[in-house]
Amino acid sequence: MKMNDQVIRIEGVSKTFGKGDREVVALNEVDLAFRDGEFAVLIGPSGCGKSTLLYLMAGFESPTTGQILLDGNEIRRPGPDRGFVFQDYALFPWKTVLGNVMFGLRRTGASHADAKRIAMDHIRMVHLQGFEHAYPHTLSGGMKQRVGIARALAYDPKVLLMDEPFGALDAQTRKLMQQEMVSIWEAARKTVVFVTHSVIEAVYLADRIVVMTARPGSVKGIVDVDVPRPRKYTEEHYLHIREAVLSLLEEEVAKSAEVQA
Amino acid sequence: MNGQTQAPSTKHAPWKDRLIHAGQFVLPFLVIAAVWELIVRVGWVSATALPPPSAILQRAWELCTGEGLLWHHLGQSMVRLSIGYALAMGAGLVFGTILAMNRVLREMFSPVLSLLISVPTIAWVPVFLITLGLGDRTVIAAVFLGGFFAIAYNTIRGIEMVDVNRIRAAQTMGARGIRLFSAVLLPGSSVSVLTGLRLGIGYSWRALVGGEMLSAMVRWGIGKMIYQARFWNDVTVMFVGLMVIGLTGFLLDRLLIRWLERATIERWGMVTER
Amino acid sequence: MRARRFVLPILFVASFLGLWELAAHLGWINASLFAPPSSIARDLVRLHTRKLPERSLLLTHIGASLQRVFLAASLGTVAGVMMGILMGASRLVYRFFDPIITLLMPIPGIAQAPLFIIWLGFGDPTIVTVGAIAAFFPIAFNTAAGVRSADPQIVRAAHIMGVSRAGSLVRVYLPAAGGHIMAGVKLGWARCWRTVIAVEFVAAASWGLGYMIWDASEYIRSGIVYGGILMMMLIYFVLERVLFDGIERLTVRRWGMIRS
Repeated sequence: MKMNDQVIRIEGVSKTFGKGDREVVALNEVDLAFRDGEFAVLIGPSGCGKSTLLYLMAGFESPTTGQILLDGNEIRRPGPDRGFVFQDYALFPWKTVLGNVMFGLRRTGASHADAKRIAMDHIRMVHLQGFEHAYPHTLSGGMKQRVGIARALAYDPKVLLMDEPFGALDAQTRKLMQQEMVSIWEAARKTVVFVTHSVIEAVYLADRIVVMTARPGSVKGIVDVDVPRPRKYTEEHYLHIREAVLSLLEEEVAKSAEVQA
Repeated sequence: MNGQTQAPSTKHAPWKDRLIHAGQFVLPFLVIAAVWELIVRVGWVSATALPPPSAILQRAWELCTGEGLLWHHLGQSMVRLSIGYALAMGAGLVFGTILAMNRVLREMFSPVLSLLISVPTIAWVPVFLITLGLGDRTVIAAVFLGGFFAIAYNTIRGIEMVDVNRIRAAQTMGARGIRLFSAVLLPGSSVSVLTGLRLGIGYSWRALVGGEMLSAMVRWGIGKMIYQARFWNDVTVMFVGLMVIGLTGFLLDRLLIRWLERATIERWGMVTER
Repeated sequence: MRARRFVLPILFVASFLGLWELAAHLGWINASLFAPPSSIARDLVRLHTRKLPERSLLLTHIGASLQRVFLAASLGTVAGVMMGILMGASRLVYRFFDPIITLLMPIPGIAQAPLFIIWLGFGDPTIVTVGAIAAFFPIAFNTAAGVRSADPQIVRAAHIMGVSRAGSLVRVYLPAAGGHIMAGVKLGWARCWRTVIAVEFVAAASWGLGYMIWDASEYIRSGIVYGGILMMMLIYFVLERVLFDGIERLTVRRWGMIRS
């Protein structure tokens, strides 16, 4: 990987929570880099710190040691250069769909008219046109998450961080959303770092899968997925890669709780 | 594509439901009024001691018409209530926010606040009488105090309980400081803030009545109306006053605050959030 | 250490009192309107040591108020629990009285006082009656809620074991509603306390903490006014922590109805 290709660099990052005998080492000496425009997936057993790593990238927390660089600049706090999609959607219930999607645009200085236009484009991109004036509480889970994605992409961040975004959805919707995600990503072509529990999901979506160890988390291995999209869940090559990931995971899972296969 | 979830439409027209609901609410009062009227007419209780509803209503009517004394009293009370409550809202929201955002201040003030809240607002009225005089200012101060604590306390709780991911989402989109507050913290804490407003108006209204009664130089006001009636042994006016107090308190809560709730947390589907 | 929590507030209160004292001595504030802590303490002590004929005046006032509160709250509790059981057991009764309670409960005791003064005169009868009414409402309301929330399984089990309808009211609904009743009682007694003090402002003849404060305010004896409020805080604190938590611990928590 060429150095100037790397949008995000994680260098020697450790993260500890708590003090004294209640101290928890969530991450231990993580070194990673993400390429511009790639779809990277973080996977690992429960408690391995994958979400923590994502939060560090987002700037919600600071690393205890080491640093995270975005385009060479150290990440210290949250900002509009990184979009974030939450598992529980985190939509603003007091704003309509349009209001939610426009939020980041207005914060980054767009005029009302421009913001509205761009927001509508993104609402169309996630196939929610017609619902722009609805309030989030009237929407289903899948629709809410699509709003979340549109909202995070609308103001054109460099990177999109997604924390188990489909985890709260039922199996059917989840599958649909995975397919939607691929088409959204191909249209937006952002660098995506996606955290999940599910190997199937990981192999379906990713260019590269980063497998993490159990707590304290570090990188166990990286699996490249160079299967062309759209992918089929039952392809041979696909199953190969699934096996590769699973074998890496099994040891770690034995040390921790559950993982879906 | 996933279908949109929506509330099922009610079978009856909503106004019919509300009418039935209102009727059910009023019925017990009618029954009691009827029984009351009866026992006075029959003579089991003297009418001077316990005036029958008919006499009370007639008196209320007299007070409403003619010189419109009742409106005068009620109007003055409302003016004082509005001023005091508006101050309480402003100060309560600001103070509550500051305390919610600043841990040091919160730890410093919290126990003191709990101790102060344990003292009923009315107990502070003598202090106000001494320091602010015997007139309007004391009453407004009482109204203010009544509402302030409830609003401040619930604002603190509300802001503390704002979903942290919503805050993070906003931060990720570049919101900070005042922006973060007005765009996320304030609406996010609406449920609690509205609870505070509702409790606050109740306390304020009660403090108003008490304050008026205790302030010697206050001449007009519902509380004063009841208090003055004692010098004429006018039980009927007292009942009118009590009725007005009950009704007004009820309306303030049900109409004013409910309306606010409907415009905000109900529209946003946040009612069940705690 | 849990006491750590109180360092900051204690510092705050201490500096506030210190500043107050200073301001009064330096003449920045009117010491007769804003009696500084030293004056308050002095007035309270004087009130306490002034014998009358044998007991402290201060304690006599406080005692009078407490007596009224206990009497009024007890009456209100008995009436409230009975009413609450009735309301909880019968839907009709509930739906009949619910609107009435909703409308009447918020009417402040002090507004009811003039009426009762005409009927019952000044002093204890009025004060205790209004106090009892103040306690009655929340207790009835909460008891009703508690009875209505009684687990139907328990009720059914009791019936199967042969408990009669009336018997079940006392032996099954009552304990099951214990948590709610306790909440109502706490509310009711607190309300009663506040109401008694307030009514004493207008209806007390010569004794009572409220009377003491009110009388002092009429003579602009601000030291006693502030001192009286201080006494109120103290008493409330003691009552709540010692009395109520104690009762709660002995009854409801022991029965496992509230997680401690």
